[in-house]
Amino acid sequence: MAEDRSKPSELDQEKYDADDSVKIICLGDSAVGKSKLMERFLMDGFQPQQLSTYALTLYKHTATVDGKTILVDFWDTAGQERFQSMHASYYHKAHACIMVFDVQRKVTYKNLSTWYAELREFRPEIPCIVVANKIDADLQVTQKSFNFARKFSLPLYFVSAADGTNVVKLFNDAIRLAVSYKQNSQDFMDEVLEELENFKLEQKEEDEPDQAHSGRIKSLSLA
Amino acid sequence: MCTAKKCGIRFQPPAIILIYENEVKGKNRQRIMPVRNFSKFSDCTRAAEQLKNNPRHKSYLEEVSPKQLEKLFTLLQGHLCGQSLAATMEQIQRETAIDPEEDMNKLDDKELAKRKSIMDELFEKNQKKKDDPDFVYDIEVEFAQDELQSCGWDTESADEF
Repeated sequence: MAEDRSKPSELDQEKYDADDSVKIICLGDSAVGKSKLMERFLMDGFQPQQLSTYALTLYKHTATVDGKTILVDFWDTAGQERFQSMHASYYHKAHACIMVFDVQRKVTYKNLSTWYAELREFRPEIPCIVVANKIDADLQVTQKSFNFARKFSLPLYFVSAADGTNVVKLFNDAIRLAVSYKQNSQDFMDEVLEELENFKLEQKEEDEPDQAHSGRIKSLSLA
Repeated sequence: MCTAKKCGIRFQPPAIILIYENEVKGKNRQRIMPVRNFSKFSDCTRAAEQLKNNPRHKSYLEEVSPKQLEKLFTLLQGHLCGQSLAATMEQIQRETAIDPEEDMNKLDDKELAKRKSIMDELFEKNQKKKDDPDFVYDIEVEFAQDELQSCGWDTESADEF
């Protein structure tokens, strides 16, 4: 398939099928603090891997969940959010999502609905955590209700990448959710859906060779 | 060696003026640092850096932030352009404040970097670093969620957000 050929080996996503490997993606507007949250959680234990051709930063982490060693890849957007939407491969095989907004900026909260809609288009079932970041700037917000999280029954975390409040808890919980999602049979449904989608795309490719690179494949070949 | 008290700008002839206290406590002194080769086309950030690194003034300006010096140069530049002080103050306010309604996804790299550096100031002020004596890696805080007020960002109807 065109999709597989276009991927360089450094971004081989097959590994996320292995039992001990999970992929967690970060979503949210520019400058809400996604990278700063990552850095606060991981401190200076390692260097992030920049994949500039993909507008993507990869953070590798090893966690222990119920006595088992889990390899975690955190995917951070590296400015890709400015193209209004993410590359399809960003969502591919993700096991959990951390969705961040800035409590100081209403627009980043309002845009959550767009991010969430796109996430669900690709990953209808994966666990998603909503993160209210920068509470150090205004602690009052922790006494406020945010309907977005309630509407979709998503957990909401009040955090600060600056002073560290709830950052470690957030990431450890996200890892747990990713692992438990993976162990859940729902993954099977995802695979069936993906197979169907690939099947449809292949068919289309055969039917209209000139327009084969539409939809998901087109965006992949842009990388 | 010296404690900075106040730092300001004189327009004519242009100079940065520092009020400071040296080893002899309780005695304020004034240092006048003339501004040379500065025009309405100069880069205020660079001018501030140059003054801060000037070997003659360096030790006096240690406690003065580059941001404050940059602001003073911006005031001088406004004056050179014939702008009123109030207008320049407003311009500075605009450039150093974050518009909470602005969609930063739409900014180019340079503008985004500017906004990030403004926000980084608060971040750095509130940041607990690894080397701080009271640093704790895992801080969990539970916020009581019983008497919540609306964040004011949701629309009226309960279903909408």
